[in-house]
Amino acid sequence: MLLTSVVIIIREVLEAALLVSILLSMCRQLSVRQGWFKWGALAGLLGAVGYGQQMGSISSAMGGVGQELSDAGIQLLIYLCLLYSCQKLVFHFNHRQPLNTTLFVAMAVAIALAVIREGSEIYIYLSAFHGNQESRLGLYSGAVIGLGIGFSFCALFYYWLLSFRPRRAVFFGSMLLTLVAGGMILQGCKMLIQADYLPDGQAWDSSSFLPEDGLPGQLLYAMVGYEATPAPAQVAIYVFAIAAMLTTLTLRYRAGLKAASPIEQ
Amino acid sequence: MTSLRRFLIISVLSALMLVNFIAALHGYRSSMLEAENLFDQKLSEMAAQFAAMPLPNVESPPSADDEQMVFQIFSGEGKLLWRSVHAPAQIISEVPGFGEHNFNDYRWRTLSYLNPNSGRRVVVAERVDQRYRLAESVILESVVPVVLVLPVAGILIWLIIGHGLSSLGVLAGILRRKSPDDFGAIRVDGAPVELLPVIQSVNSMLSRLSASFERERRFSADAAHELRTPISAIKMHLHNVRDELPNGSDSLRSLTKDVDRLAHLVEQMLLLHRTTPDHYPAKFEKISLRSLARDAIAERYADCAAKQQTIELAGDAVTVDGDRFALGILLQNLVNNASKYTQQGGRIELRTEVKTSEVWLTVADNGPGISAEAKSRVFERFYRLGGDRHSSGASGCGLGLSIVEHIAELHGAKIVMKSGLQSRGLAVSIVFPASLRSDKALTPNAKAKKALGTSREGEQA
Repeated sequence: MLLTSVVIIIREVLEAALLVSILLSMCRQLSVRQGWFKWGALAGLLGAVGYGQQMGSISSAMGGVGQELSDAGIQLLIYLCLLYSCQKLVFHFNHRQPLNTTLFVAMAVAIALAVIREGSEIYIYLSAFHGNQESRLGLYSGAVIGLGIGFSFCALFYYWLLSFRPRRAVFFGSMLLTLVAGGMILQGCKMLIQADYLPDGQAWDSSSFLPEDGLPGQLLYAMVGYEATPAPAQVAIYVFAIAAMLTTLTLRYRAGLKAASPIEQ
Repeated sequence: MTSLRRFLIISVLSALMLVNFIAALHGYRSSMLEAENLFDQKLSEMAAQFAAMPLPNVESPPSADDEQMVFQIFSGEGKLLWRSVHAPAQIISEVPGFGEHNFNDYRWRTLSYLNPNSGRRVVVAERVDQRYRLAESVILESVVPVVLVLPVAGILIWLIIGHGLSSLGVLAGILRRKSPDDFGAIRVDGAPVELLPVIQSVNSMLSRLSASFERERRFSADAAHELRTPISAIKMHLHNVRDELPNGSDSLRSLTKDVDRLAHLVEQMLLLHRTTPDHYPAKFEKISLRSLARDAIAERYADCAAKQQTIELAGDAVTVDGDRFALGILLQNLVNNASKYTQQGGRIELRTEVKTSEVWLTVADNGPGISAEAKSRVFERFYRLGGDRHSSGASGCGLGLSIVEHIAELHGAKIVMKSGLQSRGLAVSIVFPASLRSDKALTPNAKAKKALGTSREGEQA
C-alpha cells in the first residue's frame, strides 16, 4: 500500500507542482509579482475537494462520459491559459511595461485547474482507501512520502531554474511550459478518445524501451504527458498544439524586441 | 525581495526530505523483499516437515481455523493423503518450486515440494495479501519515524540557519543604527570568516567617505573665504566708484545690484552647505523663540520699512531646545521671503505659540501667496516662484526655503504651509515636536536628533 500510494501521489503532485515551479520561476526572473499564486493554489485545493466529492455524479453525466469530458475541458483550458500567459511573459521579457490583471488571472486559473485536476484524483484515491483500517498507516505514510518527494523535487527544480540568467531562464521556461501545455492536450485527447469523441488507434508502441510505469516513464508522463502507445489523433493534435504555441511565442518574442527598440525616423 | 533564510530553509529541507524519503523507500522495498524471502523460507521448512512427518490416520487436521495457510499431501501415486480444511481437493500446483495461484477468492503464494526419498508431494500455500500486510506492518514501524521526524528536522533547520545568519542580522542592525555623521569603523563580535570581507569593505568605504566629507568641508570653508574676500573688495571699489561718479550711471547701478546678488548667493550656498543635517555641528540649548523672532525682526526691519510694510510679533513666550545660529538663519530666511514677496504696504506677522503640546513658529503675510503646485516645489534648490519674472520683482537665489528645510530637519520639526493673514498670502509654520519644548520638560539634545525626519504639509485654507 505504501509503495502504491507513493507512486500515485508523486505522479499527481509532480504534474501540478512542476507547472507551479516553472511559472513562478519565470515570474521571479521577470520581476513579475507572484501574489496570484496563493489565490490560484487556494482555489485549486478547495476545487479539488469539491470536484472529487462530485466525481460520482460528474462521471454518470452525459451518458457516462461526464468525467472524461470535464477532464478534457480542464486540460484544454489549462493549455489556453498557459499559451496566453507564456506569450505575455515572453513579450514582457523584451518590452517591460506594466502588466494587466488578465495575465495574473490566467496564471492563477492555470494553477487552480491543474490543482483541481490532480488534487481531485489524490482526494478520490485517499478517500477510497481511508475506510480500510489495516492499510491506513501505509496509505497515509505513502501519501506523505509522495507529497514530500513531489514538493521537494519541484522546490529544488524552482531554485535550479532561478539559477539561470534571465534570457536563458525565459527560453528554457517557455520551452518547458510548451511541453507541459502539449502534455495537457495529449491527456485531454486521451480523455476524448475514452469518451469516443476521437478515434482510437496506435501510432507506435514504445513501451518496450520506455514503459509508462517505470520511473523515467512516470517523470515524462508528469512533465510532458508521455504515453507509450498514443493514438494517431492524439499525436496529430499534440503536434499542432506544440507548433501553435511555439509559433505564437516566437512571434511575440520578436514583437517584444521590435517594441523595445527605438523607432528610426 | 529574495530572502536568504527562506531559500536556505526550503532548499535544505527539500534536499533532506528528498534524500531521506528516497532512502526510506529503498529501505522499504529491500525490507519487503527480505520479508518475502523469510516467508518463503518458512514455507520451505513447513513443506519439509510435512514431507518427513508420519501421517495421522485422518483426512484433515483437528484444528481447522487457519484460513491463511493451507497444505496438501499427496502420495507418490498422486493420491491425496492429507489436507487442511480450507485447501482444495485438487492439487494446487504440480510444478515443483514456488509460484502464485488463485483459489478460495484469494491470491496464494505456493510451494510444491517433492520428497525424493518417500516420493511424497507436499503443497503448502500462504495468502499473499496476509503476507504482504504482515510484512508491511513490521516495516512501516521503521518508515513512519522517518516521516514523523520531518517537522522536527524543519524546526531544527530553521533554528540552525537562523543562528548561522545571525551575524548578518547584527551587521544590518549596526548599519541601520549608525547616525549619518558617524564614519567610525564597524565591528561585529564573532563574525564568521565569510562576513569579514564585507565588514572590511564597509569599513574601507566608511573611511573613504569620511575623508571625502572632510575634504568637502575644508573646500567649503576655503571657498567661502576665497569668494567672500574678492566680493568684499569689489563692493568696496564699487562704493569708491559711486563716490567718484556723483551722478552715477545705469550700468553702475546694475553692477551694484548684481554684486549684491552674487554676495547673497555665495552666503546662501554656504549656509545651505553648513546647515546640512548630516554634518551640521549642532549645539542645542534653551532658546526663547520669541526673543529670536524679535532679533530677526530687528535684523530685517530696514527692508520692511523700505517697503512700508508692517511687521509684528504675536503669540506666547515659548522656549525650545535648539541651535541658536541655525534657528536665527531660519527666521531670517522666512522673514526675508515674506518681506520680499509681499507688496508695498503689506503686513507680516511672526507668531510663537503652543498647540497640542507642539511648538509652532509661524511667519505669515498678506502677500500674493503661492499656488498648490508651487508649494510642492518651493523646497527644491534654486527653485524661484515665477523665475525672474515674479510679480513682486524681487530677486533671490531660490535657496532660502531649502535652508529652512535643512534646519527644520535638524530639529526634527515639520513644515506646514497654509494661507496667510486675512486668508491671503502665505503662512509658513515650523512645528517643533513636544519633546523639544524646554519650558515644559527639559529634554536631552539627543532627542532632537532621534526625532523623525522632516515632513512637509501643505494645506489650502
